[in-house]
Amino acid sequence: MSNNEAKFLLNAYRANGADAAEPTFAPALAQAKADPALGAWFAREQAHTSAVAAKLREFAPPVGLRDAILAGGRATASVPRRTARLNLGQWIALAASVAVLFGAAYSLRPRSRELTSAALTAFAMDDVRHGRHGAHGDAEKALQVRLGQSERLSSGLPISYDEMEKSGCRSLTIAGHEVIEICFARNGAEFHCYLARARDFTNADEPDGEARFSTDGPLAAANWVSRGVRYVLVSDAGVNAVKRLL
Amino acid sequence: MSDDVFTQLVDAHYASLYRFALSLARNGADASDLVQQTFFVWATKGSALRDGSKVKSWLFTTLYREFLRGRRRDSRATSIESLPPGEQDIAAEDVDRVARMDAPAVMAALQSVDETFRAPLTLFYLEELSYLEIAEALEIPIGTVMSRLSRGKSQLRAALTTAERGVGDKVVNFTVKGGAA
Repeated sequence: MSNNEAKFLLNAYRANGADAAEPTFAPALAQAKADPALGAWFAREQAHTSAVAAKLREFAPPVGLRDAILAGGRATASVPRRTARLNLGQWIALAASVAVLFGAAYSLRPRSRELTSAALTAFAMDDVRHGRHGAHGDAEKALQVRLGQSERLSSGLPISYDEMEKSGCRSLTIAGHEVIEICFARNGAEFHCYLARARDFTNADEPDGEARFSTDGPLAAANWVSRGVRYVLVSDAGVNAVKRLL
Repeated sequence: MSDDVFTQLVDAHYASLYRFALSLARNGADASDLVQQTFFVWATKGSALRDGSKVKSWLFTTLYREFLRGRRRDSRATSIESLPPGEQDIAAEDVDRVARMDAPAVMAALQSVDETFRAPLTLFYLEELSYLEIAEALEIPIGTVMSRLSRGKSQLRAALTTAERGVGDKVVNFTVKGGAA
């Protein structure tokens, strides 16, 4: 690799070090360490990049932009797409309408009876096996951001059950019992998490504790309780992949 | 969608999206429109996205598409292959120059870079996306990203030099943290 080739690659190396583990840059980085002239160029390049980046970070979005986005985004969660842009008043009106709909849906939801954790696990695995899972609400996609960043799930999802219930995620009724489901990807594998209120289960008094694992063909599941919510996590990536999330 | 979830999504990305939009649109009002439109598209079409790790690049892609849709491509954008290779050398003076300049002057210099190079260059400086993610966001090959970064940096250095000499012709209004420029 010539120095010009190394420079070509290193021009795409971020100054914050986020690309340190990227194999594409390894040979060029090694060459920069071995060649003082190339190393000096790289140091100047990184300093220049950092200086420009720092200047750009000084720009703050205008006051009010965030609130306008939030008002509009909430309102459009369940309305047909429009090609025309909406003004702030229209955003707010839509937001109010959706809030009313969420409230009505909540008040009319069916009452649940008791359910066993084994039944929920069996249902979840069957649900995943037949591809009926996920992609039923915008909230699921946004939640994936948080789930992708969460280190462990043994203490539950980084969002309360009440919030999940109102989020527009896929909601199911099993024997008159509400179950919420969300899909997400981590480490290249897909996971499906089913949540229900622990108090509605026959073993409602089960304390928070170790997860129980089970497998069925290519699917693995973990079943545990945390802070009043029973979780069933299913994946086709194997039981070790499931364990790594807990 | 849960308020908390959407709020977190907005909080995580709207500032970076705004800076990207500002570099493209060259004025704050259009940049704000682009960011709002991006989240509007998310609210209506985001359900099609299955891979949560792609949310960030999806947002940048959408903003860029909205920008392209909102204006006609200028002739410079189609002449990239005829441009000379980027100048690789950078002097210590270039680094000092940026440090001396104020943020609006640096942004104005960035905005003077050809649009073809400006989009990947801004994403690179924002440090939000890797070169692979920039390729995905702008829907161009990886090699093209690297080429445009190299050439874009060369143009930016030239623009910064020109700006410091006081012969720049860009007049842009900005809001900068701590006051208006």
